Amino acid sequence: MIDGLSYGLMIVGLIFWFWGTLPLVGDRSVLFKLHSLSVSDTLGSMSMIAGLLLKIPREWPLLVLALISLAIWNTVLGYVLAYCSYRGEGEDDE
Amino acid sequence: MTVYLSILLRLIIWFLLTADLSLVNIVIGVAIALILPHDVPRWPVLKDWLRVFWEIIIAVPVAYFEAIQIMVLPHKKEAFLRRRVRPNRTPGLIFLDIFLITFTPKTIVLSYQEDGWYKIHSVERDESS
Amino acid sequence: MNGIIIAMLLALLIPIYEAYRDSHIWQKMLAFASIATKTSMMILVVSVLRDDWMIGVVGVLILSVGNAALMLLAHVIKRSDEAGLYEP
Repeated sequence: MIDGLSYGLMIVGLIFWFWGTLPLVGDRSVLFKLHSLSVSDTLGSMSMIAGLLLKIPREWPLLVLALISLAIWNTVLGYVLAYCSYRGEGEDDE
Repeated sequence: MTVYLSILLRLIIWFLLTADLSLVNIVIGVAIALILPHDVPRWPVLKDWLRVFWEIIIAVPVAYFEAIQIMVLPHKKEAFLRRRVRPNRTPGLIFLDIFLITFTPKTIVLSYQEDGWYKIHSVERDESS
Repeated sequence: MNGIIIAMLLALLIPIYEAYRDSHIWQKMLAFASIATKTSMMILVVSVLRDDWMIGVVGVLILSVGNAALMLLAHVIKRSDEAGLYEP
């Protein structure tokens, strides 16, 4: 039961990964790709770590730390990339 | 009061990282948490902090819900929005606000303008199709 | 578990291809950010697969400090962009 749930969470994470990473190859704007990347890299990876957590609850302190730092760093990196790339792009467009 | 919060946060990170509850480790963790510099607290801010923490807990299921929404229904339109910053926010609270907005997949903060606005980029559903 | 690792490898190929293909600097940065997260997640899964938690500690450390360099690089690129040092 727990095993099935953990595999389920990891597969959900993988679906998020593929769905969010495939638009990277297309020709959309950086900001649009950033939205789909935040689906895949933040939320998908978080559900994968949750799956790992169910698999080995023995190592919960490190996995919880990984979960928190993943959420914070990826979100802040998304903001920094949006902030830095927007100025550059704005000059290109206008 | 916010001093206690920041010490608590440091202790949580320390114990998660070391995963060791022996006496020596507790002493080291408490000492480091007390020695590291903290800013001067102000009372009315505490309510805002508690509310932001609550909002972060809420934000996780909301983010997953929005992700599934984007996946099932195509969101092809991009838009720029501006949102007002709540008054009397300290830099820490503004950081958490930006974190909350960027964490949900539909919206990303582009910049925080000094006159009290967040510039936000968002994806929306294309109603015409 | 093996299947999950293989699927993760396939997902990792997408941003690598994008970083190779696109010459626009911010698209490349996006691809590198994606690669950074995906590889450290793979380290975590491999450590569970091999039941060797020392590998897992490395993965957690990379997750918690790894993105700092990318943020710094983004700011450097932005500055050089503004100074006109970088020609797209």
